[in-house]
Amino acid sequence: MGTTRRENTDWILKQLFKTTGLVTIALLGGIFFMLLYNSFAFFSNINPIDFFTGVQWNPENVNGKYSIFPLLISTGLVSLGSMLIAVPLGIFTAAFLSELAPPKLQAILKPAIEMLAAIPSVAIGFLGIVLVGPGIAKIFGIQNGLNALNGSILLSVMALPTIITISEDAINAVPKSYREASLALGANKWATLFKVVIPAATPGLIAAVMLGLGRALGETMTVLMATGNAAALPRGFLDSVRTITATIAIEMGEVPYQTTHYFALFAIAAILFLITLSINLLGEYFANGLRKFHA
Amino acid sequence: MIKRTIYFFNWVLLIGSTVIVCMILGVILFDIFSKGMPSLTWNFISKLPTNGMTKGGILPAIIGTTLLTFITTIFAVPFGVACAVYLNEYARPSMLTNIIRASIRNLAGIPSIIYGLFGLALFVQAFRLGTSSLSAGLTLGLLSLPYIITTTEEALKRLPNSMREATLALGVTQFETIKDVVLPTALPGILTGVILTLSRAAGETAPILFTGVAFYINGVTTSINQEFMALPYHLYMLSTQHQSIEEVRPLAYGTAVVLILLVFMLNIIAFYIRFKQRARD
Amino acid sequence: MKYLFLISLVGLFSCSSTDKTIKLKGSDTEVNLAVQLAESFHDINPTVFVSVSGGGSGLGIASLFNGTGDMANSSRSINDAEVMLFEKKGLTIDSFIFAQDAIAFVVAESLPIDSISTTDLTEILRGSQTNWSFLTKKKLPINIYGRQSNSGTHDFIKKKLGIDFSPHAKEMNGNAQILEAIKTDNSGIGYVGAGYVIHGGSKGIKVLTIYTEKNKQAVSPLDATMIAAGKYFFQRPLFQYYKTGSYQKNKPFLDFEKSVKGQKIIQSAGYYPVK
Repeated sequence: MGTTRRENTDWILKQLFKTTGLVTIALLGGIFFMLLYNSFAFFSNINPIDFFTGVQWNPENVNGKYSIFPLLISTGLVSLGSMLIAVPLGIFTAAFLSELAPPKLQAILKPAIEMLAAIPSVAIGFLGIVLVGPGIAKIFGIQNGLNALNGSILLSVMALPTIITISEDAINAVPKSYREASLALGANKWATLFKVVIPAATPGLIAAVMLGLGRALGETMTVLMATGNAAALPRGFLDSVRTITATIAIEMGEVPYQTTHYFALFAIAAILFLITLSINLLGEYFANGLRKFHA
Repeated sequence: MIKRTIYFFNWVLLIGSTVIVCMILGVILFDIFSKGMPSLTWNFISKLPTNGMTKGGILPAIIGTTLLTFITTIFAVPFGVACAVYLNEYARPSMLTNIIRASIRNLAGIPSIIYGLFGLALFVQAFRLGTSSLSAGLTLGLLSLPYIITTTEEALKRLPNSMREATLALGVTQFETIKDVVLPTALPGILTGVILTLSRAAGETAPILFTGVAFYINGVTTSINQEFMALPYHLYMLSTQHQSIEEVRPLAYGTAVVLILLVFMLNIIAFYIRFKQRARD
Repeated sequence: MKYLFLISLVGLFSCSSTDKTIKLKGSDTEVNLAVQLAESFHDINPTVFVSVSGGGSGLGIASLFNGTGDMANSSRSINDAEVMLFEKKGLTIDSFIFAQDAIAFVVAESLPIDSISTTDLTEILRGSQTNWSFLTKKKLPINIYGRQSNSGTHDFIKKKLGIDFSPHAKEMNGNAQILEAIKTDNSGIGYVGAGYVIHGGSKGIKVLTIYTEKNKQAVSPLDATMIAAGKYFFQRPLFQYYKTGSYQKNKPFLDFEKSVKGQKIIQSAGYYPVK
């Protein structure tokens, strides 16, 4: 009899554990549904064409100007800038770590990179205000350093650990035989690295860049603190910009629930969700490609 | 000659990048610690803010962040571990587990501000918990879930199958195997992942913006149905919202030091556990 | 392990006392004053907690409506759209004016200008004049430092001058950031509560006196007698709104604001107490 009771307990607990798995699906579904539901409420008030093609985000205006376009451009500009900085830095550092660094140096550098990853985003944003901002203002001779360039620099710092870690895995995953074959054919160390190892690791490197980009696109606090938050269309990296995440952070607290402005913030969040989701899926696709390639 | 130049150039490229990355970390830590350490006194971490937050300490923010992390733990750890146990111990690879794993991976990639919106819609509005540390803690819990599941599953995967088979052969049920053998053995690995995830959650600001963090509270409260102060938000507020930013800059640096020390401390504990376990293996 | 979690959960719930926190939200102009009031209030009334948050007047009023706040600090009177929202929900609200605020326009000390007309200000803020050469001998591009649209100050100036701000106006997170920017920008113009200038110091900046077409006498926002007479152009009462039903809950704090000690705090923070 004791056995049956124990078996029953076992069965019940198994179902309980299974439920938690189902809840994770429900969680993703719930987030998606919440964004979709509120976006529908928004698009029943506002024409989607105006939403994507207008040039002004100004919900306080009497007519309520809701256009995601300047926010998208801002988000894109800041993230693009961050990738221009972080991708070369990250990949070369990863190459150094896996190809050149002696084990002892690796034992120091790897925790250092994990430390960089652990620094809270709000602390990085704080440095954007007190350190990077004044620096930019001085170098470019402008009055105020809170702009897209500042945001790009900070976001590159936040994306670097992701890019380095995944790139290093990708480079390490290139089979030793590739290197040996290349060296045996008379190619030197550098030619082997740049002409054989890095090309072979490309899918993994793309995955690294995609995941780093996903992190940069979704980051809120650093851009909120360091980019100046002007909602006008930016003309360059020295203009202040306002990203999608910063707009949500600034305006969500002030809106009365269930109004057009409230729904509008969910609509731009839905767009952000779709963008980061596709970037992450793309990254995963390349990461999987890498796995199959070497399997 | 040209060859040697290229050689040198490549060498500089790789070393230079690494040096720049290290310098970034160095500059961040040096700036914050050199300017923040002078503010870090016993009074700073044990007193309430005074004079319109231009003097005094940050005790309510420290208590708030601790309380928040506690709520996150209570919610996310049992849940996350249970899900990992299901995926690794009970379920056979199937359509369902594939979907669950895909959901977890995608949940990990969702921007934290969207978790904030979800927490606002679900906990603050639908569950009527209001803006409170409970709402914010649960929101951070959701954010932490995918990481806890992934790291726990990795810890479980590292255990040899022979261990499970040996106990099962003794006629013990699967749950008993999990409870008495699998989880205790995997504990260090699970703990490492949990602590690292919590250190991340403790530093998050965006998810708590609309779910209950307050600018200032005139006392120390640990009620879970009340608003709270938190270290990361306190730093944000002191550096952008306060009336005399220059005057409170030392306080902002001090807060940054406390926040980073807290996060690093958790990280070091996690590394220590991982190190001990590797030494044992 | 599981029991430990359960016990701690129960422990958490039991130590959460009854609803003894007054949640005060809204205007950034008022938030620092509210913090100072709450601080002294705690000395007298240690059992009642007050949590204070900024974010803008709109945020405060929305928090009343959303049920996430007990009292809204607002540096503007409630607007028609908001009144409609409350009516729709069947809520009535009361207001209390606890101080007067004057908005100061500040420029760098080196800029050769001391007073400005409301007409010229309008031209600058809406972006139709973009160089100081139209007022002074210096040829410098005008940089506008303003607040985010959720700020009561932003709203107040917009309404008072009847303009939309230039889209190139920088939207700063708070009054303090504006002062800081003006200190380093010799061609900038910004607006902050006069309380900030008095309290935060006016090193490196200059407060402009304001005159209108009708009244040619330029008035400074730091002139207490003119403010008391209501003569400054950018002057406004500071409100606190609360739901009629929650008066009893907020009463201890409202009483404190009216007390001698409360009035003294308001005055020393650079606002003008209402008699």
